[in-house]
Amino acid sequence: MPGPIQTVAETLNSQIPLEGFLIVAAVMFAIGAWGAVIRRNAVVVFMCVEIMINAVNLTLVAFADFLPDAGGIGASYAALIIAIAAAEVAVGLAIVLAIFRSRRTVNIDEVNSMRG
Amino acid sequence: MPVTGAAIIGLLPEIIASVFMFVVLLGGVFAGERNSGIVGGLAVLGTLATFASAAVLLAIGFEGTFFGESYAVDNFALFFKLIVSGTAFFTVIAATRFAGSTGDAPEYMTLILAVVLGAMLLASMRDLFGLFLALELATIPSYALVAFDRSRRESAEGGMKYLVTGVIASSVLLYGLVLIYGVAGSANLTQVAEAFSGELTPVGLVGIGLMVSGFAFKLSAAPFHFWTPDAYQGAPTSAAAFLSVAPKAATFAVLLRILVEGLPGATATWTSIIAVIAILTMFVGNLSALRQRNVRRMLAFSSVAHSGYILVAFAAIQGGGQETGVQAILIYSAAYAVMNLGAFFAIDLVGEDAKSFNGLFKTQPALALCMGAFMAALVGIPPFSGFFGKAWVILAGAQSGSVLVYAAVGALVINSVISLPYYFGIVRNMFLEEPVSGGTAPKDDGGVRFSVYALAILTTIFILFFGLLVTLTGASGLL
Repeated sequence: MPGPIQTVAETLNSQIPLEGFLIVAAVMFAIGAWGAVIRRNAVVVFMCVEIMINAVNLTLVAFADFLPDAGGIGASYAALIIAIAAAEVAVGLAIVLAIFRSRRTVNIDEVNSMRG
Repeated sequence: MPVTGAAIIGLLPEIIASVFMFVVLLGGVFAGERNSGIVGGLAVLGTLATFASAAVLLAIGFEGTFFGESYAVDNFALFFKLIVSGTAFFTVIAATRFAGSTGDAPEYMTLILAVVLGAMLLASMRDLFGLFLALELATIPSYALVAFDRSRRESAEGGMKYLVTGVIASSVLLYGLVLIYGVAGSANLTQVAEAFSGELTPVGLVGIGLMVSGFAFKLSAAPFHFWTPDAYQGAPTSAAAFLSVAPKAATFAVLLRILVEGLPGATATWTSIIAVIAILTMFVGNLSALRQRNVRRMLAFSSVAHSGYILVAFAAIQGGGQETGVQAILIYSAAYAVMNLGAFFAIDLVGEDAKSFNGLFKTQPALALCMGAFMAALVGIPPFSGFFGKAWVILAGAQSGSVLVYAAVGALVINSVISLPYYFGIVRNMFLEEPVSGGTAPKDDGGVRFSVYALAILTTIFILFFGLLVTLTGASGLL
């Protein structure tokens, strides 16, 4: 009968299964997607998209760690994805700035002169 | 993975495009703001050299896969590279005057060449993450292209709507790709095909679903099409024309490659998903286009509908329709490229209100005939280019042997009838109405005029290339 301290130590030393990472990532992705759909401020939408992309990156790194052969390649893809996310936000903020200069708002619903 | 000399030759179109991308940017610095003609000339030269190198590779029958089978140069990829660089050639000719007027000609041309580079890489990628990088290389510059025109408020607005939906779609697509990678244990399509040959796991199914939805966004397929009208209405005309054709064709190419080379084991799943998306897309696109008074917006919805027509060919890739289905996608992409590009450019010469086309046949008969040819081609009337695309899609659908695809083909025929009023509304305005007096006609632009005439001729004599296209696409190397 192991004591409570040993149980805690064993739990800490045991490996977290792949599913754990995947579920956390899926929840993160859902939170990001939900925010991206309901928030009206363009800058906040970009932040939500960042959460989505980071969730994907977490999935990728977890897979790369657990897959037998893929190993380091998956992790290097994660670095490329971080770079892409940065590029998207850079262009995004430039466009938001252009919108703000002409309309004094970054609310997506108010920027709506084209209809039909 | 050693890089061979053959890889350098196979990558020649991409290398030329990337070199010219920087030449144009630096050339702009040395030429100064007033000499936008030099920048335009360099960009024309770059697209022409890219087109020529891809054509030479296709002519000598160059084939090979490089970088550990993650990059395929085959007839299929080269065919799409020709479409991309050819449309880019007409676009930079038509855009030179506009780009000069913004004072940022080098940036505009560089962005177009960046999209060309991304789209060409996309057509060849056999690696899940490589293709995502290529897709983003084609997409991120296109956000900037849409928002480029600072003289019109709609431009930045269209850019923002495109960007917000685009980045969400990108992350959904990426999530799908990562899940497929996780299930397959490799990003290479060969290994993916092996892993997906048996029963689908739930994670794999979710991956396929997310990936297809992400691609549906990029291809403006319903129900993810809502960014299209705003983006194309806001964008400078040359950018809208180019983006509705070149990156879309390359995205169709890469989707086809993933589905046919990477997921042949799941054919039943993805053909049925795509058949439903296709039917929905055709109806949404055409019914929305009917209500439009703005020609730019109408053409945007028409491009949604045409995405649906091409997706019918995707659904037909099963049973006996496999080869014809792939052929139909290639032929339709080429046919669509010439007709849609020309129709968009004509807006620059006439105006975006449907009324500005009134009596065009009396004031500018040649231009009216060109626009008439584009409209007839978009409806699918022989002998114009669109007819051959549609005929081949219907042929592939008939061979597929699936009830769902028969329904999609039926929807295609119904939709061709629905689309008649709005395309021929323009034709009626041009030939039967009286010219509106006192309207401000847009400035005449020699570059745009050249592109419109050349594309109208290509649309009309498409039948002459058709034999060549069928032989070429029959040996596309994908199946």
